[in-house]
Amino acid sequence: MTKYVLKRIVLMIFTFLIITTICFILIKLLPLPAIKQMGRDVSLIEKRREEMGYNKPIMVQYGLYWQHLLKGNLGLGEQMYVSLEVSDVILQKLPYTIVVNLYSFIISVPLGLLLGIYAALKKNTWKDHLISTLVIIFISVPSYVYAFLVQYLLCFKAGWFPLTIASQQEATLFSWKMFHSMLPAVISLGFGTVAGLTRFTRAELSEVLTGDYLLLARTKGLTKNQAIVRHALRNAMVPILPMILGEFVGIIGGSLIIESIFSIPGIGNLFVQSINLRDYNFFMADTVIYTLIGLVAGLVIDLSYGFIDPRIKMGAR
Amino acid sequence: MSKNLAKFLAFMLVVVMVFSLVACNTTTPPVDTKDTTPTPDTKDTTPTPDTQETEPDTQETEPEADPLEGKGSLEYPAFNVGSLEVALGSADGGEVGYDVYAGVEGKDYTDEEVYTFHDYTAGMSNLNWNPLSWETNDDSAILDYLSRGFYGFELNSDKTGWSITCEMAEELPVDVTADYVGQYGIKEGETAKAWKIKLNELATWNDGTPINADTYIYSYQQLLDPAQLNRRADSLYAGNFAIVGAVNYFNQGREAYNALGQLVADYEAAGGNVDDLYIDAVGFWNAAGYIDAEGNEVSQYVSVTDETEYSKDGAGDDAFSGKSLYDEYFAPGAQYESYAPDYCFTKQTYEANYSWDNVGILKTGEYEIVLITTAPTEMPNYYVPYNLSSTYLVKEDLYESLKNPDDPKVNTYGTSLETTASYGPYMMTYFELDKKYVLSRNENWYGYKDGKHLGQYQTDIIDVQLIAQQATALLAFLNGEIDNVSLVAADMTKYGASDYIRYTPQSYTTKLTFNSDETSLASREGKNAIVLSNLNFRKAFSLAIDRTTFAQSYTAAGSAGYGMLNYMYVYDPFTGASYRNSDGAKAAIVDLYGLTYGEDGDFEDVDEAYDAVTGYDLEAAHEAMQLAYDELTAEGVYDGGNVTLVLSVYSSDDTYIQMFNYLNSALQAAAEGTDFEGKVALEMKVDADYYDSMYSGNADIIFSTWGGAAYSPFTLLYECYCDAGINDDPNQMEYGFDSSKVMIALKINGHQFVESLQRWALWMDAQDITITSTDGELTLDAFGNYDADSRCAIFAKMEYVYLANYVNTPLYYRNVGSLVSQKGDYALQEYVDLIGFGGIQFYTYNYSDAEWAEVAGTLQY
Repeated sequence: MTKYVLKRIVLMIFTFLIITTICFILIKLLPLPAIKQMGRDVSLIEKRREEMGYNKPIMVQYGLYWQHLLKGNLGLGEQMYVSLEVSDVILQKLPYTIVVNLYSFIISVPLGLLLGIYAALKKNTWKDHLISTLVIIFISVPSYVYAFLVQYLLCFKAGWFPLTIASQQEATLFSWKMFHSMLPAVISLGFGTVAGLTRFTRAELSEVLTGDYLLLARTKGLTKNQAIVRHALRNAMVPILPMILGEFVGIIGGSLIIESIFSIPGIGNLFVQSINLRDYNFFMADTVIYTLIGLVAGLVIDLSYGFIDPRIKMGAR
Repeated sequence: MSKNLAKFLAFMLVVVMVFSLVACNTTTPPVDTKDTTPTPDTKDTTPTPDTQETEPDTQETEPEADPLEGKGSLEYPAFNVGSLEVALGSADGGEVGYDVYAGVEGKDYTDEEVYTFHDYTAGMSNLNWNPLSWETNDDSAILDYLSRGFYGFELNSDKTGWSITCEMAEELPVDVTADYVGQYGIKEGETAKAWKIKLNELATWNDGTPINADTYIYSYQQLLDPAQLNRRADSLYAGNFAIVGAVNYFNQGREAYNALGQLVADYEAAGGNVDDLYIDAVGFWNAAGYIDAEGNEVSQYVSVTDETEYSKDGAGDDAFSGKSLYDEYFAPGAQYESYAPDYCFTKQTYEANYSWDNVGILKTGEYEIVLITTAPTEMPNYYVPYNLSSTYLVKEDLYESLKNPDDPKVNTYGTSLETTASYGPYMMTYFELDKKYVLSRNENWYGYKDGKHLGQYQTDIIDVQLIAQQATALLAFLNGEIDNVSLVAADMTKYGASDYIRYTPQSYTTKLTFNSDETSLASREGKNAIVLSNLNFRKAFSLAIDRTTFAQSYTAAGSAGYGMLNYMYVYDPFTGASYRNSDGAKAAIVDLYGLTYGEDGDFEDVDEAYDAVTGYDLEAAHEAMQLAYDELTAEGVYDGGNVTLVLSVYSSDDTYIQMFNYLNSALQAAAEGTDFEGKVALEMKVDADYYDSMYSGNADIIFSTWGGAAYSPFTLLYECYCDAGINDDPNQMEYGFDSSKVMIALKINGHQFVESLQRWALWMDAQDITITSTDGELTLDAFGNYDADSRCAIFAKMEYVYLANYVNTPLYYRNVGSLVSQKGDYALQEYVDLIGFGGIQFYTYNYSDAEWAEVAGTLQY
């Protein structure tokens, strides 16, 4: 097990290096935005770019980047959040993203599980069909569509919530007022998770419920509920739990469109913006963070199989 | 196998890492740290134009002997644009007004109720209100609240235009050029180069710290600090109010390559030495990475005397030398002679340790400074206050504390609440990154004490939040949470007739820009894109576009556009006269579309004809398309096959798709009934860097715009449309269009002039160009010396010629439609140049905050 974990970590490091290297080279290969402004001295911008090292060979720039990164320095904003520390900006914005996603996670995971279980137990009844139809709708429709609907119906028409989330001038991050203002975003974010989890749980549980061992359990005298809770659910959870774990890790990721619609000052749009504006430091910081999250999540999920189901042996040939 | 692969990958990665680390260690340059010791003065910036009054004139003339004989070609026909009578203008340009609108009695800063103006912005990630490095309109909007210029342009007393007010200056600037004769390059008899400004002694920072001459000197030294490379530094060293010595101070110790901006022959004629020229080998020959026989990499700029051969691999492949490039391409009479202004450069080495004492920013008293410019300011009554309508002040203690010791280019001044100091009517009281900022009344502002601003500034608080989605902003507006909202095309059905809609015209004209370069178009294999190099093909496409339908269908408030410049451009700032409404400008469009007026014409006068212009004429489009077919096949460059032209657009959102579909249909409609029928089509390509693609000839057609400089219409023709290389980097987007090959005959005051469009444009851009009549009897004065109407008329002739080349075709003039809240009223309902709707200072409220809370969300729009 230890050997397997170590091996995975080493591979993870290599994967990380390969991804960041490729990303660095690719972003640097993109041409810088044209500077065309009548009456302005374009050479001034060129001089700044020169002094910022933009004209050095890419591999030299890459080496310099690592020099700084190894010292824990993610650099300064050059085209966006100009002169601000990249790490400071991310740390300021990250809490919003985490909190909104965490609320969404806490609400949508139990809901998704319950609906999935209910649909599986009521398989092929109208209740199951209703849930399945809704699931398909919510999976098929892009999140921004129901985000706008939520905003229009619940915030504007019904007036139950503010249109955008509160600022910290009005409420602290963990206050009721802030939570209330975040609910439309939380609901919008949750639709997808609930639908996905419902569908997955229903499918897994339906399959498990038809297993021979469940019949055996019933013939041994267990009640239906006992058989479902002690055997069916536990077995169905083997693939479901890693999925939930993945959702949990994903809360740091943010959502570009939901954050934009509800004016959440999170990190959802940092990546896209950094590419559009060619802010190399922000782009690389995002790349590093998201790559690490993805790799660590993958590793944790893989390892979790072993803990959830002892029959799965890590590293076994 | 996979194990070996993993080992190999790992090995490669290590090699890459080691290589890059080694490489960076060997080339890491020393950090450029220059100190930034305080001292001198001030100024503001902003480019400008020129104008003046006089009697106009335009008129057509009968041709005598054809002055253009043999000067035109299929690709570049020559134009005889008739005759004009022109006159020189007066030196000061005219009188300006100083009487300001009094406001609404009682509705000003003395009102004790609380009034908050709620605004929104679509993005804050670029926000930076450091006065020395701000960039965007959003930055400028904050700075307008936090600072004031020496002079202001405010709504005049009869609410029809602007008046000049003294703000950070105590009184109007005084011309003291005579006091500095023999210094700063000022010669005897010169005027309008040195300006004394008495400073407002009531001006302070928001914490009460006085602002005096030392503050200006310190701030401008920081602005020009060569190590800081502040983005606004060019405000002091470039433009029409460039300060003496500023460019030398800013560039001290650096080398700079300046685009030649003229033909080599002209350069030589003016006494220039050809051996001093350099060629941009990277830009012209795409020679980045080329090496010589010894492996040395080529520099971007190669001397024309340099015979060292550079090639891709160092072994002669695609080899060139600076000398060979010059001889073959740029020397007088050579193949690409006309490209010399773009690709030939002169080298300038700036003196190291240039003293601040040589910079024309002087402290002459505790509250007095003198600014000395490199050139006299034309029409100073207007242009000196205009050029001094902003200041660039930083609070010394705060600015010093925010300097980054490791990198002089970095300073966080103006990026948060703690790093902000104000000397304007408002000060920052809250800032949350990417969420909102709040500005509250700055009680230490001089304007609340001097009694000169009564009737203004009823607003106590300005609350600006980030709302990225327009749909969300509209809901917030309807809820009464924000006090204005921009509309999109889809909103116009519902709100187009609202009493609360306001149209803000913008100086931008959206156009289709065409690549007309045969070589690059011919390289699109299987697409026959070369048809775009034919003028008649481009003309046919243009004539098949119904601009009114286009503007109404795909823009929120845009209007059909026909000219290079729209109604925002003012050719006479003293009268506010719009270029587009001038007779000459109207005639340019009427002539372009072949409408006739006058005695034998279809319309009574030019106004009537202009009103009838639609730019849409399918019959003429078919004729032009067939002509194009005949010309292209006769030339042998087109084989009669299918044509696919690529329209590169920024994104694939719905609006772009709809625009593309419309234009594709228009192109096909133009081809109906011609030999091109069924063979031509557009293809849409998403290219976020479509401007760059066009600049490098890699795009066929793009949407393009130029805007700004609404008071400098005459400079635009060269700088944006016929630019041969200002600041090393041409602005002209129309790839392949060589304005030096477009010959124009124009008779002025009875003398015939024949010059290229490029030279006319250079002359109008105040470049050092001499325009002499063909009989040699009349040499034109500097363009700026003619009166405004004369300049307007000459420009209109050139605009006509430019448009008739169809290297771009205007589609619509941009306007922004917005809804304004019933909470308050702007002073004006119609937009006025320089003033807008009157600004926040004259905004008055119908509801206080408390009253608004009762009615917000219940009102109809």
